[in-house]
Amino acid sequence: MKTMTSGLRAMKKFATALVFSLGIGLSQAADRLDPSDPVDALRLSQKMQCSLTHGEQVLYWWQGGAYSRTPGERDRHLFNVQGMNIRHCSNHDHPERGPGFRIVSREVLLYLDPETNEVLHSWNNPWTAEEVEVLHVANDPVNMREPRYAYGADGEAMRFDATFMKGRVWTNGEAPLFYENPLAGDYQRYVGGTYHATEMINMYAYEDDLLDPQIANIEDQTLSWVRISQWLPWMKMGDRPGMMIFTTVGKRIADIEDLTEPLRSEIRNTYPIYLAPPPLDDTRPNETSWTYFRKVMESRRQTQ
Amino acid sequence: MKNEFTKAIQRMTLLAAPLLLATAASAQLRLDPADPDDRMRITIKTNCSLINGEPVVYWWEGNMYSRVQGERDRLLFKVQGMNIRQCEHWIDAVRGVCYRTISREVLFYIDPQTGQVARTWKNPWTGQEVEVLQVANDPPGRSESCARDAQGNTTVNTSPLNSQGGWVLSGGGAARLFYTNPMGGEFQEYVGGTYHAMEFLTSASPEDDVLDGGADGLRDRVISWGRVSQWLPWMEMGSRPGNVFFHTAGLRLDSWDEMPDLMKNEIRANFPIYQEAPPLDYTRARETSWTVAKDHIDRRRAEQTRE
Repeated sequence: MKTMTSGLRAMKKFATALVFSLGIGLSQAADRLDPSDPVDALRLSQKMQCSLTHGEQVLYWWQGGAYSRTPGERDRHLFNVQGMNIRHCSNHDHPERGPGFRIVSREVLLYLDPETNEVLHSWNNPWTAEEVEVLHVANDPVNMREPRYAYGADGEAMRFDATFMKGRVWTNGEAPLFYENPLAGDYQRYVGGTYHATEMINMYAYEDDLLDPQIANIEDQTLSWVRISQWLPWMKMGDRPGMMIFTTVGKRIADIEDLTEPLRSEIRNTYPIYLAPPPLDDTRPNETSWTYFRKVMESRRQTQ
Repeated sequence: MKNEFTKAIQRMTLLAAPLLLATAASAQLRLDPADPDDRMRITIKTNCSLINGEPVVYWWEGNMYSRVQGERDRLLFKVQGMNIRQCEHWIDAVRGVCYRTISREVLFYIDPQTGQVARTWKNPWTGQEVEVLQVANDPPGRSESCARDAQGNTTVNTSPLNSQGGWVLSGGGAARLFYTNPMGGEFQEYVGGTYHAMEFLTSASPEDDVLDGGADGLRDRVISWGRVSQWLPWMEMGSRPGNVFFHTAGLRLDSWDEMPDLMKNEIRANFPIYQEAPPLDYTRARETSWTVAKDHIDRRRAEQTRE
C-alpha cells in the first residue's frame, strides 16, 4: 500500500513531467512553484488553505480536548471537541497587485462529554456548581475581509513563510488576540473585560504536492490547532481567574461523510447550512463565539 | 527534453517491480493494532525503532509567549528543540513484547530579533537582565513497559487507532502536571508554589507506514508540541501572576545531522553529550528544567559563599 501511495506520487510527477516536456518546454523554474516568487508564494499560501480552483469546496476536520487552567489546582479535562470548517476560495486578478484569492467559510465546533463523547447540552460548572447551557461554536461566516494578492496595497511582495524539511513542509500561524470584547462594556480599558486569546495552527503537507503547479487541491494535509483563551462566555465564570486550553489534531478531508460522529449527524440535523460554504461574494461581517453568544442572548431576551 | 522523458519512463518501470513484491509480502507483515504485541511494536516503531540501540532523533521549532492578565500575549522567544533516544525491546514469555527507552533533550531560547541563541534576557516586567538557562535534560525521563502484566493480562491500549483518510492522527490528550515543586518549600499545600504545567503532543503519519511490520521505524511522522506552564525559574518572576506557553512543530529525522546548523553548532559547542542518546543501562536521575535550575542556582550560591 505504501508502495502504491509513493507509486501514485511518482505518477503525478510523471504526468507533470510529461505536460512540461510536450507543452511549454523545459523551463526548470516552471516545473515547481518557487516560494521566493511573490506570485508563486501566493499560490502556495492558497494551496495550504484552499484549492487553486475557483469555487472548489475544501473541508477541514479536527478533534481533541479542552482543558481548564486555574492557579492552585491540576488542569482539568473539561470537554472533548470535534470541529469542522467548510470553505471555498474565489480567484481574483488585480491590475497592479497581481493574482489573489479570498476564502469564505463556515465553522462548527462541538463540546462533547470527555468520557462518553456525547454532545453536551448542559454542563455542571464544577467551580460555581451551577448547571449551565452549552453553546456550541457555530460561526457563519468566517471569511477573509478582502482578497490577498501577490503584492500588498503598499506594493509589498507576498512571502510564503514555511519550514521545508525532509520532503515535508509546514506553516505555523499564531495570532495573539487582544481587542474590544463585544460582550463587555464601553470602559474596558478602565475596568477590564477585554477579549484575550491566542490561536495557533500548524498545517503540514508534502513538498512534492505543494510545489507541483498541476495539483490544485492537495489531499495529504494534516493540521494541529491550539487555542488559549479566557473562560467561554456560557461557562458563566465572570471574573474568576483562569483560562481554557484547546489541543486538537485533524486534516483536510474529502467529504462530509468523512466527519467523525457525533459531528456528522449533528451538522446534518442541527446545523444543515454548514453542509456548504457561504456564497463566494459573501460580504457579511465575521461571526465569533463571542458575537454569536451576544446574538443568541439578545434574541432570547426579546422573546422573553 | 528527451532525457526528462526517459527518466520518467524509467521511474515508472522501476516502480512496477516493487509494487508486485510488496503486495505479496505486506499481507503477513501488516501489524494488527488490536493485538497487544503488535500494538506494542507500533508504539516502539512510532516513538523509537525496532532495531535495538538505533538512535532516533526528533526536532521541533516554534515560539514561546507570555500570558499575563490585562495585556496581549507577548512573543518572548523563538525556540528549537531536539530529543535523541534509543530503545531496546525483547519478548518475555508471559508479558509479551517489552521495551525500554532512554533519551536526552535540549531546547534553546532564541532571540526573535537576532535569530541567535539568547544568553541573557531583559525581563520586561521587572526591568532586570537575567541569565538564560537553556533546557538540557539528561535524561528527561525513562520508561519500560510490556504488552501484558506479570499475570499475562493485556496492559496496552488496544482500542482502534484514530485513522482518517489513510492517516493515523494522535493527540487531543494532555499531560496535566501538578506536583511538589523541587524549587519550592516544604509547605506547598499550605502556601502555594506547587509545580503546575500542561504538555500536549499531536502527530500524523500515513496509516500504511504505521502498520507496516516490515519497517523498523516510522520515518514519516510530523508532530506539534505545546506546553503551558508557570514562569520559567530563570526569568526570576517570583510569584507574579502569569504563564508562558510554547507552540512548536517538527518531525522525526533520519539522522542527527539533518538538524539545522543552529542546533548542531550550539550542541557541539556547549552540550556535546547531546549528540548521542544515553546508554540503555543509564541510571542518572530524571531531570526537568526546574531540577536543572535548582542545581545551577545551588552551584552559583556555593561559589559565592567560597568567594
